[in-house]
Amino acid sequence: MPINKEYIAKRAASLIFVVLGVIIITFIITRIIPARPELLWTGPHATIEQIERARKELHLDKPIYLQLWYYLTDLFSGNWGVSWRTKSPVLSSILTALPATLELVIVAFLIAIAIGMPLGISAAIRRGTSLDNAIRVFSVVGASTPVFWLALVLQLIFSNWLGLLPAAKRVDEYIAISTGFKPLTGFYLIDSLFQGNIPVFLDVLRRIILPATVLSIYPMCLSIRMTRALTIEVLGELHVRSSISWGIPRNKVLYRYVLKNVLAPVIASLGLSFGYTIVGAFMAELIFVWPGIGYYTAMSLLSYDYPAIIGCVIFVAILYSMINTVVDLIHAVIDPRVKL
Amino acid sequence: MNLDDIASMFKLIKSNPLSVIGIAIVATFIVLGIISPYIVPYPDDAWGYTYNLDLRLLPPSMKHPFGTDEMGRDLFSRVLLGTRFSLIIAIGVVGIALVIGILIGLAAGYMGGSIAMVLMRLTDMFLAFPPLLLAIAFAATLGRGLANVIIALALSWWPWYARLVYIQVNSIKNLPFVDAARIIGLSTSKIMFRHILPNSLTPIIIQSALDMGSAILEAAGLSFLGIGVSPPTPEWGLLISQGWALINRAWWISLFPGITIVITVVGFNLLADTFQELLDPRLRSTMIMRGV
Repeated sequence: MPINKEYIAKRAASLIFVVLGVIIITFIITRIIPARPELLWTGPHATIEQIERARKELHLDKPIYLQLWYYLTDLFSGNWGVSWRTKSPVLSSILTALPATLELVIVAFLIAIAIGMPLGISAAIRRGTSLDNAIRVFSVVGASTPVFWLALVLQLIFSNWLGLLPAAKRVDEYIAISTGFKPLTGFYLIDSLFQGNIPVFLDVLRRIILPATVLSIYPMCLSIRMTRALTIEVLGELHVRSSISWGIPRNKVLYRYVLKNVLAPVIASLGLSFGYTIVGAFMAELIFVWPGIGYYTAMSLLSYDYPAIIGCVIFVAILYSMINTVVDLIHAVIDPRVKL
Repeated sequence: MNLDDIASMFKLIKSNPLSVIGIAIVATFIVLGIISPYIVPYPDDAWGYTYNLDLRLLPPSMKHPFGTDEMGRDLFSRVLLGTRFSLIIAIGVVGIALVIGILIGLAAGYMGGSIAMVLMRLTDMFLAFPPLLLAIAFAATLGRGLANVIIALALSWWPWYARLVYIQVNSIKNLPFVDAARIIGLSTSKIMFRHILPNSLTPIIIQSALDMGSAILEAAGLSFLGIGVSPPTPEWGLLISQGWALINRAWWISLFPGITIVITVVGFNLLADTFQELLDPRLRSTMIMRGV
């Protein structure tokens, strides 16, 4: 399918604008709102010399437009500050933690689509029945549940009480070391599969189920609601009604008209809920001791590690903008009606 | 909104049991939020002033329906008083966000031109952050405390309203009655606040009231991450996080505040669904994205 080059260029240009906007807003929050930014940057136990050094490093002795310039150049050259909790550079810690979070979020989204779309379609074709009502209530309750509370409750029930699933971590170190598992890409499911390491693969899979389920609830409820509404709309259209009355099998109608029309908007909406999910991962990873960006951010928040917190905020916001751009492009490919 | 609209609204609400449940929950929440300080069974426990060594970590019983926490405080009293803090947070966040959003959206929508461009670009920059992430940055900068939580959430919340008001104002600013007001020589501020504002805001104000559920949810998240209200405030998210360390010995500490959050937010969301069926369908997709 030919994709409009102008459209891609337009989206890329707007991505640059958005990223600059994100950085400028964080500059305002971290450098202009606080009375003495260097105190936040160095933490509660800093000496006067450390504070003075931070003042120089942050260029706070320069006029504001120069501060913004240095802020931008520091960010683009990878100088994101040093965490005073871990004593290591913020950006490299975030990049090390990135695959763990991406793997978790991707599995969560797969669960959300695999369960959400069928539920949404069945609710729509049995509209008004008790099944429809049950699915709708589930989607409202699911979207109203705090992620961290759900994580605590599921961990308590399935791991602490029933002992069905492990409560924490990505992989059992003993199994990983004894089978010679090497995390190459950082995506443990893929790594273990390519190395043919079935024990590690199964262990990783067992450990990812609980946190991924917790994170999947919100996008799942969103996709149930979207799928249900769109399916009802498509089923009401004249050509669909006529094809049903001509006796074309219902499954064929569903596949041909409904799925095609529903898939693109649902994927687009899931792209937006990525932002909600990754912030939910801050809490879910903390509870499941999942060594990703979320765990890093949550630990930084709990210990008030300001450089790390702001680094995570900038990184996640940029990641979110990039993913939205990609989702828009995918949307344009699968839905020919998008022409901007 | 005229009488017909209100009548059809009641009809719609009555026809759907879920809407009735939603109204009941929200009404109960508001009433408890107002009267809870006067009806809590153990007021000192509720405000967190007490430390009862011999009553630590008691499971739920007739005397303590939700059990007691690690300080021996009655959890039911604390959860009940938490209603008030959630109500304060919800009204504060949505109220402040609404005021900022209306002013910016109205200015951009009515003035148009370069003012609109600057203001709406600014709005877009804020909207580029995932929900709650920007609030985390503000809250981490401002520090803990009830007022700071409200400010942090409101500062990350207003762009949604600014954009809605902007769209709404744009759609009515060229209608004949506005032209008429302009022709008879009314001042700009009079046209904006007397003519455009009342005619564009009803759906936005109703929607924002229903957003309070999301505000409660996000405030609880901030508290759980340690940048929300400070102890011993009986805020629900903070209560859950305090029970986390003891979850294997005393599951009830985290369980009950969480159930209360779910019920409250479900109430607001059921009500929001009802109103969405009534309101402008163009707004609908935006609302779904907002996390309602």
